[in-house]
Parts: sequence; structure tokens; C-alpha cells
Amino acid sequence: MHVVEAVDLTKVYHNRYIALNALDLKVDKGMVYGLVGPNGAGKSTIFRIMLGLQRPTAGEARVFGEPMTPQRADLRRRIGFLPTNPALPRDMTPISYLQFVGKLLGMDRGEVMIRLTTLLQAVDLTSVGSQRIDELSTGMVTRLGIAAALMNDPELLIFDEPTSGLDPAGRRQTIELIRELSGSDRTIIIATHILSDVERVCTDIGIITDGRVIHHGPMAEMRRLVRQRTLSIEVEGNLRHFEQQLPELDTFGAIRFERIGSEFRISFLGAEPIPTYVQRVLDLVDRTGVELLHLNTGAHEIEEAFLRRLEEDRATSFVRASAWTTAQKLALPPANNGATVEVISEAIPTPDGIDVVDVDVDPDAEGAGQSAPDGDGDTEAEASDGGVLHSGSP
Amino acid sequence: MEAYFTLVRRDLEQLISSWLLRGWVVLLAAPAAFLVVVAAREDELASETLAAYVAAVLAPLSWIVISVLAGTAVSGEAGTVADSILSKSVTRSEYIWAKITSRLVVFMTIYLSIVIPFAYLIDRYAISNDTSISGVAGGVVLVGVLFVFLTSFGIALSTVFRNSQFAVVAALLTVAVSGAVLQFLGLKWMSTTAVIGGLPETFRGDTPFADQLRVLIVFTALSLAAIVSGVWVFERRDL
Repeated sequence: MHVVEAVDLTKVYHNRYIALNALDLKVDKGMVYGLVGPNGAGKSTIFRIMLGLQRPTAGEARVFGEPMTPQRADLRRRIGFLPTNPALPRDMTPISYLQFVGKLLGMDRGEVMIRLTTLLQAVDLTSVGSQRIDELSTGMVTRLGIAAALMNDPELLIFDEPTSGLDPAGRRQTIELIRELSGSDRTIIIATHILSDVERVCTDIGIITDGRVIHHGPMAEMRRLVRQRTLSIEVEGNLRHFEQQLPELDTFGAIRFERIGSEFRISFLGAEPIPTYVQRVLDLVDRTGVELLHLNTGAHEIEEAFLRRLEEDRATSFVRASAWTTAQKLALPPANNGATVEVISEAIPTPDGIDVVDVDVDPDAEGAGQSAPDGDGDTEAEASDGGVLHSGSP
Repeated sequence: MEAYFTLVRRDLEQLISSWLLRGWVVLLAAPAAFLVVVAAREDELASETLAAYVAAVLAPLSWIVISVLAGTAVSGEAGTVADSILSKSVTRSEYIWAKITSRLVVFMTIYLSIVIPFAYLIDRYAISNDTSISGVAGGVVLVGVLFVFLTSFGIALSTVFRNSQFAVVAALLTVAVSGAVLQFLGLKWMSTTAVIGGLPETFRGDTPFADQLRVLIVFTALSLAAIVSGVWVFERRDL
């Protein structure tokens, strides 16, 4: 049983705006799951549906194995939620608000008082405990929101942009707090667009864009994948000449680079090992006569991986839509339900030169809706429940 | 139920700390006290004094205050309800019923705690006492039912409109134009204006019981319809 599970979750607002697009998501017990995506990707909408604050247009959201609806207060009792910039009752004080939350959760008075004093201390709000909420800073309100989310020590914590509005010290404190909360059997889901936060605390990561999860898997795997394939170098001298020579680093010119001032972030798309590339970079530095200031493999790794997945997703969106339509046409009739259909198609070229090589349709496949790098830097197209969920370079 | 009672208590605290509500109480009580003194000194009919108080003070002030406080019951908390209440272990039903309960309790308590002593004092001290106990009781109940309807209707509107100002204006306007519309439809007896206009006879005990019962049933039904609609809408809307 997954702690959180979304199957084909779709949310369309007023028949105009698609917030979630047949999204699949699974979060298991004990995970610290980072949901990363640009603004408007659908992160908050997922949470609102998971909490029963909104109803899905189609698909299903399950929490602790049961469908979540607005009436499932029993399920919400097991969830602690911190919204982005939480809107808390302005006329209350931190103490009265936590008492109020404790009563809503059915805690007895003694338990509430013990818990709230501990939590106010933990989030460093003891000194302002009797001040009105509208007199608190944004960071203090966020910290109070965290305390409220932890009031009954829930099994599942959902933090939507927990470091939003916090100063560096508050941010660090929050990250440390989340780190402390992880472990044991507690599951934590954090939505953010601050990738360094995810890197610090998460065990798993899901990348969401345009209402779909386009990648998810263990954090370590993603980190390893990117570290192997990227390199950051800062040089001084004839940068133009150096830049022109960069494609020669790979035998087939399979590199992608980005220049930011005197820094080059190079992604190697070829299959050769990274030490070979590093040696070639050093040779290139010698050959072009530039001065090496800084060389690092794996710098900006998570950002790099995130952006790469977004690019790949954009490049293959049309192919994915076509494949989904094909798979829908091949959808199993009731008599064949449970069987596996494999569609082997011709390689379909995409604008980015990325080919989709095969499409597997397996409605009963374990881990349906998941995609993961295969370890050698390549990715393969996968489809399940009628949709290609992941595709990448051959 | 723990959550329901917590929410009722919280809403009662909010209402009691509202300056609008406090002002309403003062503005209802002061003229009532003045009219008791007048009735004791001047040769005014008790039924006319009571009816004039309802028509000139109680009804218009309560129409505004109840429309505002009921119209903002849910929409007034639109910004905080999802983040700080309904994301906790609270059902939509518990929340909306708590709002309905607390608002009805507060409005009815204030109304009855002013109008009953006022009616008693008028009955006791007025020089020309033409009221009957059953008539006064009937009038108090009729006006109370109108307020229950206004409260229910305002809360229903506050579940429909996210903007509390729209909800308040809609509640005020609906009552304001309902008299004309009902007259046009040949249902003038259903309008609040007609009920209030007929209060002198009601206080004297001259209004037939059947007519009073008809008004009572209609406004009770309308109140129930408004409550059911409000609950239905709120339980289905996205927050």
C-alpha cells in the first residue's frame, strides 16, 4: 500500500485551465519525497486534492490506501499540511491558534498544552506566543504553520514550499527540522522549486511540469546520473576560441553546453566515460591557451538534471501525445483485460533528435506510471496505462 | 463532533468580538428603552408602539447587520478556511453547520433578549395597553422567523460567492426587491413588508392564526431550502 497514490489524476478548472493532466504519483512509507517543478506546474493542486480541499475532474487520489474526499476528516487527522505562505486567522495568537488546531484534532487539553509549548520552542516562536498573528513576519507565520502541521505528530507531512518567505537562517532551520522529522515511519512530501532544498533532505524526487510527473525515482540515482554526465569549467582568455572548440570534446560532437559569463556548463551526451572527457577538456585548455580558473564535475547537478528532463519532456510532447492516442486505440477490450500488449514502432524522430524506440503497454505492470534512468545515461520510452511517460535519448 | 463544537465556539468568539454586533445591540436597546418611557407617559397604543419599533428600528437595522454578518460567514474566511481549518480533521459539514448554528444562536439570542423584555415592559407600563399575550407572542415569532430566513439566506449566499461583498450586497438587494416581486406575483402576504405592516393587528391578536401559520410555514420552508442549498454548495465547491 502506498501512503499517497494518484492514478490518472486530472484537474481542469472551469473547462479552461488544465492544472493536472492524467498525473500518476506514488509515494511510499518512510520516503522524503521532493516534488519539484516550475511555478504553475500543478504541485499545490495535487496537495489540495490529496487533502480533499478540491475534487479531481477525473482520476483518483488515494491516501493511506483510501480515496480522499472532503468528508474524510479521519484521513486528514493523519496528515500534517503546511500550505505556501499559510493564511492563518489573523486575530489569533500562536498559542490560541495551536490550541484551536489541537481541539480540531480531538486532542485533550493537557496534551495540547504540552505539545504546543514543545512546538513553539522547536520553531523558535516562544517569545511571540501571545502576539497576534497579523503582527508576525512572513517567516514566523510559516514557522507557526509548520508547528500546526506537527501538532498531532502525523504519519504524513505535506509541505508546500516550506522555505518560502524565510530568511537564510529560517530556511536552514526549516530544512534541519524536516531532516529531523524524516526517518522512522513518517512520510514527508515537499513541493518546492528550490532544488538545493530537495537535494539536502529528500530521498526521492519527482519532477512535475504542465500537470504531469515526467520523472521520478531515488534522489541518489538522479544525482549519480547527472554527476557522471556534467562538468562545469571556468576559464579566462580567448573564450570565443575555447567555445568554438567545445564540440570537439566528443568524437561525434554529442555535447550540450551553456555559457554563463566565463563559466561553461557542459553536458556530455556520448557514451564515453567522464575521465576521458575531463582529460579532453584539459587538453583543450592547453591547446586554446585559456587559463583554467575552476573545474568541477557535478556542479549544479540537480538543476542540470531538472532542466534536462524539462527539455526532454518538451521535445517529446508531440510524440507522447501520438503514442498515447495509439495506445488508447489499442486499449485492451474487456475480454483481453490483463494481457500485455507490446507495440514496437519505428523510431520517430523528434525536433531534438531524440527518438522514441518502443512503446510497451502493460496495464497491470508493477510500477506503472514510473520511469527511471537505466543507469547508463540512456533513457527508454515507457508507457503504461496507455501513456508514454518517459522518453529520452537513445 | 469535537471539531464541530470547537468551530461553533470559535465563531461565537469572533461574533462577540465584532463591533458591528455590539453596535447593533446598543442601537436596538437604546430606542427600546426610550419607547418604554414614552409609552408610560404618552397615550400611545401599545400595539402601535411595538409595531413602530419593529418597523422603524428593529427590522431595518437587523436587515443590514444580519445581511452583513451572515453574508460574510463563509466568504469572509475564504482566505483562511482551507489553510487553517479544512486541511485539518474537519469535514465540510461540520464547518458549515457550525457557522449556521453560531450565527442563528447569536442573532436569535440578541433579538429575543431585546424584544421580549421590551414587549413585557410595554405591556406592563403602557397607558393604553391593547395587546394580547398570544398576539405579542405571535408577532415575536413571525419576526423571528423572518430573521432566521435572512440568516439562512445570507449564509447560503456566502457559500456561493467567494467575494464577501457580493454576498452581502446580494442578500441586501434580494430582501429589498422581494416585496415588489412578490406583489407582482400576487404573493404580497409572503413579503417581509406585508408581515411587518400587519404587526399592529398581530400584536392585538386580530390576525387569524391560519394567516400566521401560513407565514410561519413558508418562511421556515424557505429557511430550510436556503440552508440545504448552502450546505450542498459548500460541500461540493473547490477551496
